[in-house]
Amino acid sequence: MLSEGSYLIAVAAMALVVLVSRLSGAFVMAWVTPTPRVEKFLEGMAVSVIAALVASSLVTADTKTFVATGCAVIVAIFLRNVIFAMIAGMLTAAAFPHII
Amino acid sequence: MVRKVQTVALTGGGVVRGAIRLLPISVFVVPFGIAFGIAATEGGLGPHQVTAMSVLVFSAMAQFAALEFLQEPVAFVSLGLVVLALSGRLVIMGASLSPWVNRLPIRKRFLTLVLLSDANFADTQTLLQRGESDLGPLFGGGLVLWIFWIGSTAIGAYGGDMLGDTEALGFGVVMLCFFAATATGMVRSTPTFLTPVIVAIGVSVMTQPYLPVGWNILFAAMLGGLTAAIRHAE
Repeated sequence: MLSEGSYLIAVAAMALVVLVSRLSGAFVMAWVTPTPRVEKFLEGMAVSVIAALVASSLVTADTKTFVATGCAVIVAIFLRNVIFAMIAGMLTAAAFPHII
Repeated sequence: MVRKVQTVALTGGGVVRGAIRLLPISVFVVPFGIAFGIAATEGGLGPHQVTAMSVLVFSAMAQFAALEFLQEPVAFVSLGLVVLALSGRLVIMGASLSPWVNRLPIRKRFLTLVLLSDANFADTQTLLQRGESDLGPLFGGGLVLWIFWIGSTAIGAYGGDMLGDTEALGFGVVMLCFFAATATGMVRSTPTFLTPVIVAIGVSVMTQPYLPVGWNILFAAMLGGLTAAIRHAE
């Protein structure tokens, strides 16, 4: 069991850490001169953080998740549509146990 | 090439547009929210406490991780560090949005970023690449994600026993497909992103066994950004 006081401190600390994370990136960048190189760095980070999130999840994922994500990527390459890619991934994941 | 725009706005129409765009994605948050609500009540939190946490924290990964720490005596420092590791990527997302966000008045900057999360960030990247100048969709997308997260957490916390195993539905795959497709779409529109993406994937996978959860994503994103900056210099 958790005491009411400990709960309040824990949730306040969590909320504060996440809120500061959300706000601090743009706040700090207000002091950085936006040269073309800085802009390239930020653009590169934007796409990299999404790619790293996916790659990191796939390391521990099962075969079904891996194949479904692969299908979504292929559909995204050819159809250039995120929703179609999601549907393709979802159908692959649903059909997978019946194929293998 | 990401198109630069002269003026940046935060409009109500944009908020609604973002909310509608992320509505289909938000549905897939529900199983996670229910699973969290059930896990947290089983861990000893009251339904009100669980729901309040989702309102105030709004971070699925940080909240799931926190469950490990919510027993007396609470290891507050470790809890804080784990939450920081898992929300650290939000700092990077905020920084990469700064060329747009920092052109708004201070109060609107706060509103734009307060509900920043993975899904509305990813969706906004697609829009910004197309020359979007309204940050309303970022806030609107966050709003609908937040509401679904709170609602589904509450369902799990108050009525979890009747629902059974929602994780068996396998909706986690769909979120992953959304992020993978978004990154693919960004590379498709801006081919110079391919090298940073390859670097980020390689670094995050290779450092995964050695770095605590979350830090590998931060490290990979920074090296991906550096790769983009270096390639530009060449």
